[in-house]
Amino acid sequence: MLRVCGLSLRYPNGKVALADFGLTVEAGELVVVLGGNGSGKTTLLRCITRTLKPTSGEIWLGNTDLCALAGEKLRRARLELAMVWQHASLVRRSSVLSNVANGALGRHSTLRTVFAGLPAEELEAARRHLADVGLADLAEQRAGTLSGGQAQRVAIARALAQQPRVLLADEPVASLDPQAAEEIMRLLQRLARSERIAVLCVLHQVELAYTYADRVVGIRQGRIAFDLPCAQVSREAVRGLYIGEAA
Amino acid sequence: MNLNVAPTAPQTVGEPNGWGRAVTIAVRCVLILLSIAVVIQALIVVEARPQDLITGVSGMADLIRRAMPPDFSRLPSTFWPTLQTVDIALFGTLVGVVIALPLALLAAANMTPSRYAYYASRAIIGLTRAVPDLVWALLFVTAVGLGPFPGGLALGVHSVGMLGRLFAETIEHMDMAPIHALELTGARRIQVFCHGIVPTILPSLLGISLYRLDENIRSSLVLGFVGAGGIGFQLLTAMNLFQYQEVSLLLIIIFVIVLTAERLSAALRERLA
Repeated sequence: MLRVCGLSLRYPNGKVALADFGLTVEAGELVVVLGGNGSGKTTLLRCITRTLKPTSGEIWLGNTDLCALAGEKLRRARLELAMVWQHASLVRRSSVLSNVANGALGRHSTLRTVFAGLPAEELEAARRHLADVGLADLAEQRAGTLSGGQAQRVAIARALAQQPRVLLADEPVASLDPQAAEEIMRLLQRLARSERIAVLCVLHQVELAYTYADRVVGIRQGRIAFDLPCAQVSREAVRGLYIGEAA
Repeated sequence: MNLNVAPTAPQTVGEPNGWGRAVTIAVRCVLILLSIAVVIQALIVVEARPQDLITGVSGMADLIRRAMPPDFSRLPSTFWPTLQTVDIALFGTLVGVVIALPLALLAAANMTPSRYAYYASRAIIGLTRAVPDLVWALLFVTAVGLGPFPGGLALGVHSVGMLGRLFAETIEHMDMAPIHALELTGARRIQVFCHGIVPTILPSLLGISLYRLDENIRSSLVLGFVGAGGIGFQLLTAMNLFQYQEVSLLLIIIFVIVLTAERLSAALRERLA
């Protein structure tokens, strides 16, 4: 579903952030990326969303190469690519429901969403997505009043409203307590399975990766260190990711 | 000399030697003398003569005596000017908000489409504030004649200065994470604006506008003095006709208007927060 080939990014100051990076995430699969600070994990996600323009390489989303697109075509292609961050990034003064429905904005005509808001069926869908993440009863509440774990689940519901085929998650549990972190990871895993979404998740918590990932990709200095099914990933290999960075 | 033994007896930082101390004291003395001189020249320039105030106090007392009791029979005739004064402020604030909003978007560093637009709108905002509302009123009087309309326009244009700057600051200090998140969902720019930016900043913008309305009501009173009509003009007329009992009534009404506007604006802003 998501296929990255030969992705390289060199910053103008000459620093190489990604070098010939490749990975594949199939529909229904949860792939976790592990790596130290500055190893290129976030850069990878930013390249896939095309917030950063890679120096070379291809990013295939289904049958579309995102690297070959720009402007309106890129915006349309990106509709199938949803993202959640460490912070939920909700519009705090809007209701939980409209925050979720915001995820569907890109699919609707501009004029109507500007003046009349979203069509009723999208609000229905938004309620379903809220129920999916277990927050149906908070629909009318202001997003600013939620706890960190709840807000992150709303962010995931917003991503679902986008009806994505690929979901990227950049340290989605970094600011959550252990219990909330487990809940979010369980949710991502369940969504990957039931909605057939390809989930690519950057994590710092090695234990969570072992528990929830189908495959683990180790990244070190912008290069792939290993790309293995979860069961075959050794503790030494993971430790190696972090030791090298400290030196 | 001391420096040679520094390793065994390090000098404390900030404790100057003899010469340094003398210089510091001298600088302080000069500064104090300068401050006194500034105050004294101000007293001379404003021709401050407290004795005049003491000998003239009987005149004030006489005026106040003649203004008492307020002539409440004139109350019905104050209704229209009062409405005019409040409406000039309301109109001015609306005009100000309508002009300031697009200017603020151009003048916010995180929204502006180009550096030129940024500097141009900042310049316009600065100009409208630098020229006092009375001068704007005189300008508009030459265009549309005397009356409440030029007063309202003057308040509107002058308000742009404060509204534009505060709006732009609000937009600049906005949390951009939700905005970037919406952009990445594939929403168009205008959709991001309506569903991300507007709900985030609207309460602050309304609060600032209400605060400005409160200030504009006070300015509207003053503009009445120079011909914009309203209760300020009625006050001036009553003064010129020596109708001091009416003057006192009008002052009471002004007091009530200003206080009501202030409390109302504060209460509304509190609800928005």
